Amino acid sequence: MSSVSDRMLTSDPVVEVENLVAHYGSHKVLDGVNLTVNAGEIHIIMGGSGSGKSTLLRHLLGLRRVTSGRIRLLGHELDGVHRSELQELRKQIGVSFQGGALLSSMTVGENVTLPLREHTRLDESTMAIMARMKLEVVNLGGFEHFMPAQLSGGMIKRAALARAIVMDPKLLFFDEPSAGLDPVVSAELDELILRLREAMHMSIVVVTHELESAFRIADRMTVLDCGKILISDTADKVRNSANSRVQDLLNRRPRVEELDADAYLARLTGE
Amino acid sequence: MSFGHRVERGYAVVALRGDVDLARSPDARALILQCLEQKSDLLVDLSEVDYIDSSGVASLVEGYQMAKKEGLKFGLIGVSEAALSVLKLARLDQVFPIHADLDARLLDDG
Amino acid sequence: MPIWMHGSWMMAETRLGRVEQLGKRTLGLIAEVGYLAALLTESLYWIFAGVFQRQPVRVSSVFAEMMRTGVSAIPIVFLLSFSIGVMLAIQGIHTLRTFGAESQVVIGIALSISREFGPLITGIVVAGRTGSALAARIGTMVVSEEIDALRVMGIQPVRYLVSPVLLAMLVMLPALTIMADFAGLLGGAVYSAMDLGISYAAYADRVISVLKTGDIWQGLIKSAVFATVITLIGVANGFSVTGGAEGVGRATTRSVVLAISGIVIADMVFTWFLNR
Repeated sequence: MSSVSDRMLTSDPVVEVENLVAHYGSHKVLDGVNLTVNAGEIHIIMGGSGSGKSTLLRHLLGLRRVTSGRIRLLGHELDGVHRSELQELRKQIGVSFQGGALLSSMTVGENVTLPLREHTRLDESTMAIMARMKLEVVNLGGFEHFMPAQLSGGMIKRAALARAIVMDPKLLFFDEPSAGLDPVVSAELDELILRLREAMHMSIVVVTHELESAFRIADRMTVLDCGKILISDTADKVRNSANSRVQDLLNRRPRVEELDADAYLARLTGE
Repeated sequence: MSFGHRVERGYAVVALRGDVDLARSPDARALILQCLEQKSDLLVDLSEVDYIDSSGVASLVEGYQMAKKEGLKFGLIGVSEAALSVLKLARLDQVFPIHADLDARLLDDG
Repeated sequence: MPIWMHGSWMMAETRLGRVEQLGKRTLGLIAEVGYLAALLTESLYWIFAGVFQRQPVRVSSVFAEMMRTGVSAIPIVFLLSFSIGVMLAIQGIHTLRTFGAESQVVIGIALSISREFGPLITGIVVAGRTGSALAARIGTMVVSEEIDALRVMGIQPVRYLVSPVLLAMLVMLPALTIMADFAGLLGGAVYSAMDLGISYAAYADRVISVLKTGDIWQGLIKSAVFATVITLIGVANGFSVTGGAEGVGRATTRSVVLAISGIVIADMVFTWFLNR
């Protein structure tokens, strides 16, 4: 684990989830999830599709109401928090969505400047320089006047990352950084994530299903399966876990379930 | 204004301190630009800075650009490890003239 | 199970299903009206209170919306209102000729344009243009996670996207309605001049003597109501999009149909109460 800023050493965990339960209709997608992300660490939330990792992320972002359980971000309870307090909290949190989610009606530069324009009273020239600096950080210098539709998938992800970090957030959420990218671009993004943590002492939560990328950047990992946490530990401990299901996931072995003949027959006939 | 400046051996030295963040960087910017408007060579002393965010760095960038336009000297001194890592992220360590202190700068000026 | 039994069982189920569906639809309708009311309250809240919370509604985006919804609709609103004016004149003269009172046609044109057709034509055109565009724009933003992105950036989507549109519509629809009134009256004047030889000056005098400010106001108040109905329905359908591009298409169609129905029904209710 690389050096953690002295600024952050004293801090409490940046994300605390206790006994989170979530439903889609009557289907339980998260079942008693507990999660702690420490200040300054890169924490990977991993799992296949349907594992509940996207739902967990939406909960962490305050985009869904919890069925039961508690979520604290940077020491603030998400549920029942007053709107203006939530607003303040959100200024300290950056989010990079899977598809980028850049506003398509604005240029890349305007997208990156947007949080500054809405939340600060900085001088116009300061905002412009900050936005360009962040575009430089993600290697998109000179692209500020492009529209999102003119960019490639990898460029959109990097522009979205620039927008997510423009306010120098304490906590950064990154949804599927490598999905749909070629291995080289994906490795560059991983490198960027490491540099960001190094320079800005951010705590970074990455949701991904890409093993290679995950082990490249992770301090700690949480592995989700069918809405439950299999393991939440340092990257090495996860790699050497004795849990067979974890090993199945790490070695990309498909799940093999015991076949209950009667239940199977009942499912097929719809009885 | 929460930051002070002094004139020392031909340079105006703006000493930033504490946290230079979204709330306080406009003050830093105003002070830097004000010194440059008086046509004086400028050094920004970061030795007492605990934390500088990108709005603070953006103010330094703007100051440097203005100094260049006006043909004035500009530089950073006393850049802490933390501040340096923020500068390095945007490769600005290769842009600003950075010196340990005023003496080092003067030595370099020749 | 024998096939005939299966059939009757199915029928029973559909019958039960219909009652159930009626119930579900009623509940859905109530929920939807409630949602629209909440949306209206929130948009108005941001318009008035946003400034104090340092979350103002941007004047620049209000102007952009005014251009988009109002100014660019001028040609089509003018054309349609003019046509309606001509048609009213034709039909009016034809009807009144039976009584030999065709010169009274101006009264009919003036009142029905200012109280009814001006606002209605404007409303329908804007519902078709802006209502659908709103649903499509916001629906696309929902699908591409842009709405979520705004929310997590601490930017209230309603303040950022809805309030400017509502403000712009509340200004532009009445303005367009006034223009539509003129265009309609002009259409009537042109045909009356051709058919009856009424001079434009005489026509104008007659219109001015017939119209009371109340007539104009009635039209303008209606148009403000239409503006609200169109905006809310377009936005609500946009926000409720699920299921990708196809969902956006559905929401767009639905918002146009609902907005036009909403306008016509609101119009009837209004006219009923204002004229009794």
